[in-house]
Amino acid sequence: MREETPFRRFVSEFAASKVAVIGFVVVVIVALLALLAPLLAPQNPYDLAQLDIMDGRLAPGAKSLTGMVFWLGTDDQGRDMLSGIMYGLRISLSVGVGSAVIAGVVGSSLGLLAAYVGGWVETAIMRLVDLQLSFPAILVALMILAFLGKGVGNVMLALVIVEWARYARTARGAALVERRREYIEAAECLALPQWRVLFRHLLPNCMPPLIVIGTIQVARAITLEATLSFLGLGVPITEPSLGLLIANGYQYMLSGKYWISFYPGIALLVTIVAINLMGDQLRDVLNPRLQR
Amino acid sequence: MLRVSKALAVAVLLSAGAAHAQTVTMAMSSAPTSVDPHYHTFNPNETLDLHIFDRLVERDTQSNPIPGLATSWKLLDDTTWEVKLRQDVKFHDGSPFTAADVVYNFDRIPKVVNSPGSFAIYTKTVIAMEVPDPYTIRMKTAAIYPILPVDMSNIFIIPKGLGPNPATEDFNSGKNAIGTGAYRLVSYKNGDRAELERNDAWWGPKPHWQHISIRMIANDGARTAALLAGDVQFIEFVPTADAARLKSDKRVALAEIASQRIIYLWLDHSRTGTPVFITGPNGETLEKNPLNDVRVREALSIAINRPAIVDRVMEGAAYPAGQFVAKGSWGYDPSHDAPVYDVAKAKALLAQAGFPNGFRITLHGPNDRYVNDGKIIQAIGQMWTRIGVQTSVDAITWPNYVGRTNKQEFAAYLLGWGFTEASNPLRSLIYTFSPAKGWGAVNRGRYSNPTFDALVDKAMTTGDDAAREKVVIAATKVAMDDVAVIPLHVQKNIWAMKAGLTYAARADEDTRVMDLRPQ
Repeated sequence: MREETPFRRFVSEFAASKVAVIGFVVVVIVALLALLAPLLAPQNPYDLAQLDIMDGRLAPGAKSLTGMVFWLGTDDQGRDMLSGIMYGLRISLSVGVGSAVIAGVVGSSLGLLAAYVGGWVETAIMRLVDLQLSFPAILVALMILAFLGKGVGNVMLALVIVEWARYARTARGAALVERRREYIEAAECLALPQWRVLFRHLLPNCMPPLIVIGTIQVARAITLEATLSFLGLGVPITEPSLGLLIANGYQYMLSGKYWISFYPGIALLVTIVAINLMGDQLRDVLNPRLQR
Repeated sequence: MLRVSKALAVAVLLSAGAAHAQTVTMAMSSAPTSVDPHYHTFNPNETLDLHIFDRLVERDTQSNPIPGLATSWKLLDDTTWEVKLRQDVKFHDGSPFTAADVVYNFDRIPKVVNSPGSFAIYTKTVIAMEVPDPYTIRMKTAAIYPILPVDMSNIFIIPKGLGPNPATEDFNSGKNAIGTGAYRLVSYKNGDRAELERNDAWWGPKPHWQHISIRMIANDGARTAALLAGDVQFIEFVPTADAARLKSDKRVALAEIASQRIIYLWLDHSRTGTPVFITGPNGETLEKNPLNDVRVREALSIAINRPAIVDRVMEGAAYPAGQFVAKGSWGYDPSHDAPVYDVAKAKALLAQAGFPNGFRITLHGPNDRYVNDGKIIQAIGQMWTRIGVQTSVDAITWPNYVGRTNKQEFAAYLLGWGFTEASNPLRSLIYTFSPAKGWGAVNRGRYSNPTFDALVDKAMTTGDDAAREKVVIAATKVAMDDVAVIPLHVQKNIWAMKAGLTYAARADEDTRVMDLRPQ
């Protein structure tokens, strides 16, 4: 066991759960599909010139006027659902990962600062966190978007604003424990600058819980983005994300045209479940109290 | 609830077994704001009130004025209308209907307290009234006003016996809900239901239903579901997504007609210099607004495949339009049927106008106001892009959107307009913006054409209906030849009912249970 690097140990512990490995593989596939969408997708669903309304609401497997096959059908604008889902995943993942990373950086920094500095700074930051967490995330996001208007950038901003508090609380909790440890005392005795103590010594040791929170938050952000788009407040209508694709098909569900909502819904479900499976296993592996 | 069940019990007892056949339950799409017929110019109020109260002038299914409590009306001179009233009409409380009641109503309407939408807009043109005998009334207007009968078709008559300015609340409680109408109000529960009982002394043809139960079901899906479940037998405002499905369902029948609600695009005429939301094909700033060129406007209009939008986006619940009024209505200009979709001609027109490579434009619209609004502008975006006009589409929530349209912030944008009379959209939307005169009040695009204005002026000073229709048609032709706006489609009004019933669909969106009959 001693010869093993911490990373190897981490990998082998993670791989102990088959379910988590499946989750990981699915996430990689989804990420590749999203990344390579412009190369793989049969159609650019955001280019109005490539859509024809006469191809609207075709069933899966139908052929377009120009002979292209719509494997998963089309929505009411004649948009190929397969391409729409691939591009939609792009938006969902970039919004999810992007907002989680930004919120992570902002939230963890503030949390660390609160724990390290203490006093009124800590009180101010943590009361703000309490305030933030006492409002339902969807409500806050709706208000922000109603004020700022639509757009991918605004959605990310809204998600960062509703998410940072969770990181801040977690980071502070972890840092409060770590900062009483001897290595921090040693660093302080060496008269290292405060930022160095904070970011080079304290932060790395607080990372495990933050990584877990981060994974869960990516899934949460994707869900929240889909919800906002479903409600018509997220992305522009010509650049649908998964949530908007589902919303577009919603009114046709009762008339038997299930595929417009169904396939984006499945894509969303699979992505979220895969990320959560990964996150669960990460939490177990990175939790020092859960020794197996 | 007790009152309701009592009323139902009475209805059941009276009709002894045949009760079911004579009772009908109907679902409205939104709740009235009051039973007081002078409180709020709001379609749900009209739908409830028209069962209880009558108007001097009623409308046929195409919205042409027909006799109501007035049997005839004519112009004595340019500013005097003589109206003959129906005799032997009694209010629900037994008092007779006479000219004094009409005077009382015109007097009360401007005095209604806290009205969110006053009916005074329909009475203010009458500056004096004379009553030569109890069944004749002469109305004076300040200037010639040919559409007074249309205004009268919006005014419900209440008895003068209610005293000076009766309180709106007393109508809701049923105390003051006294009209001459086909039904009496039995009970009313705000936002929930109303129960009505037939007035057998009514002057009109005897309605089939002894008892009407009106329920308010605002949710579209729930209303359709209530019909399919048999909870109600008659619903209004059938959503387009359900219409196609209901059509193939043997348990229900549909009644549909072209409405008086046009969906159209505004084009910005307010700028001659650098336009907003329009740039050259490569994003460069333009010196001149391309929309000032009628060839560009026509190209944009004929590039739109209206039948495709109606078929694919509206699922058949609309008629392609080339002007405001629907085919068959008063004032329809036969030279402007829906423009024929022609990509080649549109491209040629753009090239002639100096835009062989098109330009870039942003098309704006709401996404929560009109039926399928966001989907319509996306479809138009596709079609414009195909003729070289690279279109971005921006759908905005209505409260944020409408204010900006009034400030000329957009280049091309979608709106709808509902009206009761053909000259109204010409006066309100296309006439040169003249706040002092009150015309062109909602001319958002700021189109202005003296020839057109002169024709509208003439129409509004022509008393004879047939002569006026000719002028209205001429004005419509000028505006549409010049593509002042781009009409897209006229929505359908759709009602659905239990199979075996039939309803006379109406252009004015009124739901009259009197017109619902067994086949």
